[in-house]
Amino acid sequence: MSGLIPIVLLGALILIFGGRLLVQWSRRSRTQVVTIEDYYQARAALDSVFVETAAIKRIFANEDMEFISQGRIGDVRRFFLKERKRLAIQWLRMTQRQVARLIDLHLKMASYTYEPSPSLEFQLTVKYLCFVLISNVLLAFLWLRGPFEAVKLVTYTLRSAEYFGSVFSLRLEKIDPVKLGPVSSPRMV
Amino acid sequence: MHLPLVSMLRFAIVRDLPSMNTNLIWLIAVALEAAILFRGLRTGLQKRYLFFYCYIGSLLLIEVLRILCYRQTPNLYGAFYWETEVVRIVASYGVIFEIFKRALRHNPGVARTAERLLLVVFVVALTYAASDLLHGGFGSVPRATADLGRYLLYVEGALLFIMLWLFGRYRISFGRNLLGLTLGYSFLVALDVVNLAFLSTPGNGSSIALRKLIPITHLITFIIWCASLWSPQPDPLPPAESAIDRDYGLLAAKTRATFAHLSTRVGRTLRP
Repeated sequence: MSGLIPIVLLGALILIFGGRLLVQWSRRSRTQVVTIEDYYQARAALDSVFVETAAIKRIFANEDMEFISQGRIGDVRRFFLKERKRLAIQWLRMTQRQVARLIDLHLKMASYTYEPSPSLEFQLTVKYLCFVLISNVLLAFLWLRGPFEAVKLVTYTLRSAEYFGSVFSLRLEKIDPVKLGPVSSPRMV
Repeated sequence: MHLPLVSMLRFAIVRDLPSMNTNLIWLIAVALEAAILFRGLRTGLQKRYLFFYCYIGSLLLIEVLRILCYRQTPNLYGAFYWETEVVRIVASYGVIFEIFKRALRHNPGVARTAERLLLVVFVVALTYAASDLLHGGFGSVPRATADLGRYLLYVEGALLFIMLWLFGRYRISFGRNLLGLTLGYSFLVALDVVNLAFLSTPGNGSSIALRKLIPITHLITFIIWCASLWSPQPDPLPPAESAIDRDYGLLAAKTRATFAHLSTRVGRTLRP
């Protein structure tokens, strides 16, 4: 019975991908031939999401939350949290949309080129999947705990990553190359 | 996974015998096959999709031969069914080639990647199938033929899956004719693969239900093909030639840079 599972899965995946092809075809009016200009526009659109960096940083600013909390008015605090959560989710979703558009254009344009590199495409796919995963986890946190709690978590993760990064760099600096084994000399032909 | 020969032959009998003389579904299916072939010849689509129309022609011929065999020598029908089934599956590889060739003619990059990927999948799946087939031994010719047919179908399913994944990933544009051909074919292969896998559990309720559904799925496929290939439809336009649009190195470097930039900016935004 266990041998059936991959075969049934294969059949199901063929049907799913066939369905996706149909959906793609039904949206064909929106998927015209693209040029490098479209790609540049998409990059500019993605950049525009970060143009007002100070304003975006403000969405997650803890000082505002502390100020509102001093007022001790429950309704104001609730309204403030709701608004910030909405803004943070909107910003993240917009970033996700722009990145997805850029990847979509990249794939379309790569399909026109004569010699795309499969390894590079694979690396990009992995990076994109990581971005999708992390941004969705962040989105879930924003939705469940609000922007301030989510930022605490992100900050903690970033600091941990930095800490491990610095530890590893120090460790590398301390390694004495002399004590390492000799480099094997190239074989003479 | 080896299927008992009795159930394989029963599959053939359940699948075809009731429909041989009286079943309306079978008659409609044959009529549809003839209609597809006739329209293809009439509209000139047979030149564009030569392998597909050869496949439809072979299907029609096989159906006729099966009727003759059933009427003249019913005791040989089981073995004859599987021999013709192998021929049908081999002919259907032409349809895969047709879809691949037509879909990727404006996308040389994907065509190159797909060629390598398909070759790898084909060799791996064929090696696996061949080793399993040899390992199982050849108890009888009908059994070996049935096994060969089953493995060829699995290899075909794997190739089709990779192709559909690539088409979706690279947003390949399809014309109406080619889309209908691809969708009908995917539907047919997917259900054949699942049905053949379920044959190993003969008492299974879903297996029995699927076997009864098979003639209907074939009918649906022929209806899809008939509707989509009734008249020639224009194919999507090829992209305009531009050196900068075809420079993969430039494009890949820009996308990589964008990702690096993105992670820095998101990190900077979320840092207090």
